[in-house]
Amino acid sequence: MGASVSKIMGKIFGTKEMRILMLGLDAAGKTTILYKLKLTNQDVTTIPTVGFNVESVTYKNVKFNVWDVGGQDKIRPLWRHYYSGTQGLIFVVDSSDTARMEEARSELHKIINDREMKDALLLVFANKQDVQGHMSPEDVTQALQLTKLKDKLWYVAPSVATEGTGIFEGLAWLSNNVKTQPQK
Amino acid sequence: MSISLPYRSADDAGNGLPRLSPAPSLLHNRTPSSSRTSLRQPSLANVPATAALFPKPRRCKSQYPRDSSERHVEYILVASFHIDRGPIMEHQYPTAISGDESMLAELMLPDQTHVRSQDWTIFFLHKDASADADDDASVSSKKQKKKKGKRKAGGDEVSSMEGRTQEADGSIESEDSSDDEEEGGEGPPLMYVLNLVNTKQDNTVKRGAVVKAMAICTRHSFLHIYKPLLLLALEDYFKNPYPETLATLYNAVNNMDLSLMPRLSLLERQILQASNCKDMFIEKFEQMIHQRSLEDGAPPPDDNEDPPSPKRQGPLQYALPRDTHEFESKVVYNDIPIPVKVPTVIWPETVGDFSLIKLIQTFSAPHTSSPQAFPIHPHLTTSGPFTHPIIVLVNAMLTQKRVIFLGHNRPSGEVAEAVLAACAIASGGVLRGFTRHAFPYTDLTKIDDLLKVPGFIAGVTNPTFANHPEWWDLLCDLPTGRMKISSYIEPAPVTEGLLYFQQQASSHHYPSSSNTDPSGDNVFMEEIQRSITNRYGENAIRAKWRAYIMKFTQVAAAFEEMVYGASNLFIIGPNEELSPESPSGLQADPLDPTTLRGHGYVWPDEGAKQRELLASVSRIEGWRTTRSYYSFIQDIAAMYFPARPILKPDLHHHHSRLRALRLSAADSGAIYIAFAHAVKDYAGICQLLTITPENQAGLFYLSMGLFHPYPPVREAAVDLLERIAAHPAGRHFWAQLNRFAKLAFFRIKRDRDASAQSPAFGLGTELFGPRSLVGVAMGDNA
Repeated sequence: MGASVSKIMGKIFGTKEMRILMLGLDAAGKTTILYKLKLTNQDVTTIPTVGFNVESVTYKNVKFNVWDVGGQDKIRPLWRHYYSGTQGLIFVVDSSDTARMEEARSELHKIINDREMKDALLLVFANKQDVQGHMSPEDVTQALQLTKLKDKLWYVAPSVATEGTGIFEGLAWLSNNVKTQPQK
Repeated sequence: MSISLPYRSADDAGNGLPRLSPAPSLLHNRTPSSSRTSLRQPSLANVPATAALFPKPRRCKSQYPRDSSERHVEYILVASFHIDRGPIMEHQYPTAISGDESMLAELMLPDQTHVRSQDWTIFFLHKDASADADDDASVSSKKQKKKKGKRKAGGDEVSSMEGRTQEADGSIESEDSSDDEEEGGEGPPLMYVLNLVNTKQDNTVKRGAVVKAMAICTRHSFLHIYKPLLLLALEDYFKNPYPETLATLYNAVNNMDLSLMPRLSLLERQILQASNCKDMFIEKFEQMIHQRSLEDGAPPPDDNEDPPSPKRQGPLQYALPRDTHEFESKVVYNDIPIPVKVPTVIWPETVGDFSLIKLIQTFSAPHTSSPQAFPIHPHLTTSGPFTHPIIVLVNAMLTQKRVIFLGHNRPSGEVAEAVLAACAIASGGVLRGFTRHAFPYTDLTKIDDLLKVPGFIAGVTNPTFANHPEWWDLLCDLPTGRMKISSYIEPAPVTEGLLYFQQQASSHHYPSSSNTDPSGDNVFMEEIQRSITNRYGENAIRAKWRAYIMKFTQVAAAFEEMVYGASNLFIIGPNEELSPESPSGLQADPLDPTTLRGHGYVWPDEGAKQRELLASVSRIEGWRTTRSYYSFIQDIAAMYFPARPILKPDLHHHHSRLRALRLSAADSGAIYIAFAHAVKDYAGICQLLTITPENQAGLFYLSMGLFHPYPPVREAAVDLLERIAAHPAGRHFWAQLNRFAKLAFFRIKRDRDASAQSPAFGLGTELFGPRSLVGVAMGDNA
């Protein structure tokens, strides 16, 4: 009964549920973004993620189930196990880590070329915009070769995760572009 | 009358016959007529009588001899989470453990360990020591060769191992020679790994935290005893991150002395495990101490104390256990003595400390408050869509499904415990092959290997497993206490047995619809829950599950006999044949009372049997293709003699008949007389005691023979009970017998003693076999 009421409410007010996978190289800021989303106005200190984190965040009537998976290169092969059922990919890059931008590009293209990810939206956080010598969102777009992508809805959002700047704008883009309600 | 001497009388220990029972003097104490004259007979006088009954004990052997080359702990490992490289192995002691280091490091650093400061995990390695342990391999080189070459698919790494060296000196009594049977043909014992991981926030290091894990690798399944040591040692390692810290721990745990723990035979282990008696088989512990003090050159203990006290016997430095179910020892680590308790009896498939009660409650509570219907699968939902989840779990394990325990946001130690409990529940200490395919804690990194294993039991904390129903057949979610049958599960095949029963059911019209619980599982689960509510304790619950699994195997045997004409699950005794013309209870040889026919499970009537078999057809057929089925058949063959010193009659079957059926006086009388003829020696009485556990009324049904209408049957019952009372383990059972039965016992004995002295003596006792030897001894003294 309760469930069906909320389903009706969901229809009226357009509550959607979205499974989001957040990936990126190690120390890009994934976990900080996740917990800034979850605990809006608090300071977040994070330590390296062993395995994964998963949290639910409701924003603008969309319930985001966000999976944040550890980024060390040795554990990247595990990312693929999180693909199935994912509707949105958040790829986080450290805009100041120009040396590893090519590595990030290669990993990103590996992910979005996977069959299970072909329908997923792509949101890139050009993170750490506060750090000296960072690349602009446009430079990041170039470096990641996003313009080459065909049939892909993508967006690059500048962010400073530690201050919470930019991350909700990114989420808003996801909620505006998610088309269908997932089949639960 | 109801007093019993809980400890053997002191005069036995001095003459080196500690296994002999104090029975003669004990019985005299109780016999009203003769108590005063022979209250304390010289112990030598007892020897002929009891020695004939129970042969002179051999030297009692240790489970963990001092001179064994087998170490308690084989490796100590330390891993850490490197901020750039992920999990890495830091140190290994004494040598590098062969195999995939990074896989080990990943297992040692469980998912989400960064969100908690401490976590425990358990995992198993299919590992053998021969490759890198040439230093101590010489003793067991023969065994190694035998075991070599048995490689197991799906294991992480397999080669041979330094075999169990216990049998090295070859002087084992026949009942002990079975001690290897748990390992069966399944290859080397598993290496059990207990791992502790700590996460310490530290602002002075890059990215703010240090995550380190330390693990102990051992062949002992009681690995939980090392927990306090790992806590201390890992703390030390944070301060001194050098191999020396590992060495200190390694030496400390390997100096643990368990050599005074006696080795028990298969039947003795069953008796001890089923008993709550805290001094069951205390004699063996005493003998160990006695032997040790002789070795040490100390004078044998002075045994003239009266009454004997368990604490004061033996030299003071070797104390007897307060409870013979556990052996107390200590590990001295950095001058801190840490007490440890090692279980005396370890069932196969019992690893670590887990709680069946916790597992049952986790999945019972949501089912009781708001039951959810399962999709029907004949192997699993044996009582329909609302089958109890625990029964679904056990069915899944019996039919070798892929089972995953998921504990998102739970410590990985918790999922590991659930996996270990599930293995124990499905095994019941009877079936094997579960722990060998269990992954108490695993993660996504091992998924490809995991999926190669048919019918695994795995514990995970990563909820992404729930999104992959193609990976499992049954998902048990610990936080919600719900189970889910996968939509990808393979349908149950139609088998011969199934068709047979469908035909039977259509032609015979057994009223299956009238009974809502034909398998009896609902009643069983209610009883389990009642026992938990009434705080019966973990041991009682394990005993009930053991009985449940035992019954399952017996029902399966009856099923095979019916459908296939014979069963692999039971070796029928001599004089026994499978034919409807020889009903249970028929005496094959009129001159030999022990040739009583009949075997297997006893149902009250044919209708009940048909209903129960029909309800169990699918899961039995599902079980008949599994590993646990085949290893059970192996075990039946291997344990035939060790577990069954009495081949005829089938004690279990006929005891069940006494319990379950309303027998005529002639039928029940034949059973008592057959038992009195068959059960005479130490091992035979042990076997009888394994089928009369305390929680199933103990000796009650045997004592009913004391009230039988035929005098010879009453005398047979007296003989049998007298032998049991004189038996080192049987005396505890005797002590628990109700007073009414004991009074009858002594009345019959007194009458018989009286008639023995009268001229008319002879007929009754001569007809029904020799009187017990204890009785002879007492007669001599009278």
